[in-house]
Amino acid sequence: MNVATASEDAMAMLAAEGRAVARDEAARLGFRLALPAQILVLFIAVFPLLMQLYISLTDWSPLSGLGWWNAWELWNSFANYTDLAADKRFWSALWRTFVVMIVCVPVEFLLGLGLAMLFADDFPGKRLFYSILLMPMMVVPAVAGYMFFMLFQSGGPMNDILSALTGSRVAIAWLSDPTLALAAVMMADIWQWTPLMFLILLAGLVGVPEDQMKAATLLGANAWQRFTTIVLPKMKTIIIIALAIRVIENFKIFDTLYIMTGGGPGVATETISVYIYKLTTQDLIWGYVAAIALAILLVLSIATVFAMKRMAAAREARA
Amino acid sequence: MSTIRLENLVKKFGDFTALKTMDLEIADGEFMALLGPSGCGKSTTMNMIAGMEEPTSGRILFGDRNMSGVPMGRRGVGFVFQNYAIFTHMTVRQNLSYGPRMHGAPKAETDRRVGAIAELLQLTALLDRRADRLSVNILQRVAIGRSAIMEPVIFLLDEPLSNVDAAFRAVMRTELKHLQRQFRQTMVYVTHDQLEAMTMADRIAVMDHGVLQQVGTPLDVYNNPANVFVARFIGAPGMNLLPGRPAESDRGLVIDLGPLGATAPLPERLANALRGHSGEILFGFRPEQATLAGEGRGIAAQVTAVERIGARTIVHLGEGASAIKVVLNNDQQAALGASAIVTPNMDAVRIFNRATGQAIGGSGNG
Amino acid sequence: MAEIAFRNVGKRYGGTVALSNASFTIRDNEFFCFFGPPLSGKSTILRLILGLEMPDHGEILIGGKPVNAVSPAERNVAMVFQNLALFPHMSARDNIRFPLAERKIPQAEIERKLADVAAKLHIGHILHKQPAQLSGGERQRVAIARALVRDPVAYLMDDPISALDARLREETRVELKRIQRELGKTLIYVTHDQEEAMSVADRMAILEAGVIRQVGAPLEIYDHPASTYVARLLGSPMMNILPSTASGNDIRVADGAIAVEGLAGAAEIAEVGVRPEDIRVSAWAQGQSGTPSRVYEVEPLGGYTVVTVDAGPSRVRALMRGQPDIRPEAMVALSCDAAAVHLFSRNGTALSR
Repeated sequence: MNVATASEDAMAMLAAEGRAVARDEAARLGFRLALPAQILVLFIAVFPLLMQLYISLTDWSPLSGLGWWNAWELWNSFANYTDLAADKRFWSALWRTFVVMIVCVPVEFLLGLGLAMLFADDFPGKRLFYSILLMPMMVVPAVAGYMFFMLFQSGGPMNDILSALTGSRVAIAWLSDPTLALAAVMMADIWQWTPLMFLILLAGLVGVPEDQMKAATLLGANAWQRFTTIVLPKMKTIIIIALAIRVIENFKIFDTLYIMTGGGPGVATETISVYIYKLTTQDLIWGYVAAIALAILLVLSIATVFAMKRMAAAREARA
Repeated sequence: MSTIRLENLVKKFGDFTALKTMDLEIADGEFMALLGPSGCGKSTTMNMIAGMEEPTSGRILFGDRNMSGVPMGRRGVGFVFQNYAIFTHMTVRQNLSYGPRMHGAPKAETDRRVGAIAELLQLTALLDRRADRLSVNILQRVAIGRSAIMEPVIFLLDEPLSNVDAAFRAVMRTELKHLQRQFRQTMVYVTHDQLEAMTMADRIAVMDHGVLQQVGTPLDVYNNPANVFVARFIGAPGMNLLPGRPAESDRGLVIDLGPLGATAPLPERLANALRGHSGEILFGFRPEQATLAGEGRGIAAQVTAVERIGARTIVHLGEGASAIKVVLNNDQQAALGASAIVTPNMDAVRIFNRATGQAIGGSGNG
Repeated sequence: MAEIAFRNVGKRYGGTVALSNASFTIRDNEFFCFFGPPLSGKSTILRLILGLEMPDHGEILIGGKPVNAVSPAERNVAMVFQNLALFPHMSARDNIRFPLAERKIPQAEIERKLADVAAKLHIGHILHKQPAQLSGGERQRVAIARALVRDPVAYLMDDPISALDARLREETRVELKRIQRELGKTLIYVTHDQEEAMSVADRMAILEAGVIRQVGAPLEIYDHPASTYVARLLGSPMMNILPSTASGNDIRVADGAIAVEGLAGAAEIAEVGVRPEDIRVSAWAQGQSGTPSRVYEVEPLGGYTVVTVDAGPSRVRALMRGQPDIRPEAMVALSCDAAAVHLFSRNGTALSR
């Protein structure tokens, strides 16, 4: 008998009775095995954080002629943070980021859910449409930025389409108008990220047990009742996950936007990432940048912890 | 309550024919079992009755109402799924009240009905438990209650006992049968287990490869199988079927079983039906309808295995096509390797055309 | 000599007792069956025999020698897996040869052993075929041949036929029994199906929650169960366990609903057991002495009929041969021989008479 395969097979077969052991001993062993990796991760994550905190308390800049470890010579206590509180440009960038998120994520969610429900059933050409639908997600964001940059030029395809539709010559300066530029940027984001939402929600939708849906139908529930009483409750966890992913990602919106508008006209499309980027590359005030980054991290962490708690609660309720 | 009539029912999935022409009438208040191995078309038939599948052709009538085009939510059909399809994110109460709630029944009315059904199925104490951690037998009762609360015209059950452990299954069989007999609810019960069909059903529809093989009461199907498939499928063990040819002897018409010898003379009725039949036949008798003796006239064979299973002893004799099983009470003995004479009860013998598999001589004394 | 013995073996997993103080001896060349509900410790015993698991205490002996410290590979016990685990790309011959090829045994020796085991299992004519070309029964034999080619002390099977359909199971268990009898090699077998256990086993051990409740030949246990637990586990329909009351020296069963002539016993009797096949059911005649009972349900099996009767405070099942003409709601009289009644004490252990 091949002992290696034998033990594996037998382990699997007998696993039922061994479950109790496994949990205790395996937990201990697992902890020890994971320890080196944990230390490494801790180092990777914690070290930059501490470094950032340190720099954020100084006026250090790469132009100051000091190594970052000597930044204490430029110590300014909490000046960066008090500056931040009074920085109107920062607050408006933060507000703009929030507006983009509040528009884009729900639209992506509703579109994604609608598409997912469409794709949960069979229809001719499903596979083809499926592939087409997923394509935006695979486009490099920078490339997507250029695509939309060209799409929204005054002489670009968007205006051509609108001209054809309205029958009169349309020449909107999309990216030069503060409001329209923001709208264009949002459209690009929705175009690129609805597929991800669709994919996650479809996975959740397919996981709704078919026989429970049939049972509901047999008990007289109509499509809307089935959706609200069976589909939504069963998808609660996955919906929270999908929203959390997109909220966090959307908060960091940068590459597509930067290529389309560079944050302009003026600061009309300047989100928090764009603002930080400009401070870093143009103003080179890294101490201040570190302070902003930490502040943002704090906000995002609180949001994430909240989302995770909700998720855990949902899972608990389900288990 | 109503009768169900299946007329020329056909179901094809692409090139695959799941059901080739099914005609069946289920009486009001009848417990009908659809029995057959997996892939025989029984589940397809039931899904069409429920409205989950549309027939390729043919009609389904509840009473006089043609059901074609009636969506499954409007057929008034109760359905108990194999895994019960309980709404796991709800409590037992929410499961039971689901149907009335979806129909917009008033709250007080719903509460009253849930209370009554819970009482009947002994679920009252469990009403506020979440449905995802209940044991199989409770899940089953919830599934039945959830359908029963809608007072369906007909109840469809899809192998509801297959997840229940063996000892409890016997109890559930008795209970389910008793419940049905009390309420006279029309029931269609799909199963691959001949024991379940035999013990519970008023009538059994035996199916194989999308074809209805026989419809009859359990004892009818057991005693007078219409063909070789039914003979083998019903009973545990199935019927013994020995190849042979009819032969005239001085005692009357007998079956020449080749190396096993000749049988005793056939009863008049079978002999008459067999005269003039020259082809090969299968000589069939139930393992319970034969005795073993050390010597004498009859079918001679060697004992190859003896299984003593509590109340019964299954004796295996011979090998291959001429293998025979005889079931004895456990007070009778058979020794391994001994030669034995098998004497079938000739009144309970059945003859089948070997080429077509069909029974010859119609029904017996039953 | 290759007895396999457990001496007071215990095994816990964390807080769960998987096996407690198990002692038994599996004799050489017997078909030994472990039977019990899921999680009763059957598979733990197999793991302990195979050496995949170390006992917390106690001793495991193979052929009289303690093997607690012996590795699985050196115990020389073979396992036949439920899925048979044959290599699909190899012929039956290469599959069987595989365990030997790994051990660098001379070619001639390998061929001799192969021929030997193939002859014993009657598979000489199919050795050139690949698993996919073999029938289920043939695959089973090839898998057994592969386990036996090393000439192990014993071979083990863990619920090998539970995945088959009912009819095939009935055939396969007889086949397995036949193979074991012809090979004359110790087979240790785990099943959760009482009919299968009774059919195949020379002797069996019945487990409950990690405790061995009874060891013996199937019919011996069937006829003399040591406890109500064992009594209920073997037999289908299961044994009726009924309340009994002593009136004078006599014992009344189910408030007298079952007439038993001359049943006497000690006062500590709390319950009695009657096998369904031991209960006689007869139509109730007006003016008859005794207690009438109402038929609850009648279930025909063809060759037998299960009649469930509301007998006094209990629901009693009787197994009748043939197809008796008894209908639900009919009134019947129940009786049984005193010799067929099993007596149990309050804690469920059998009492001798």
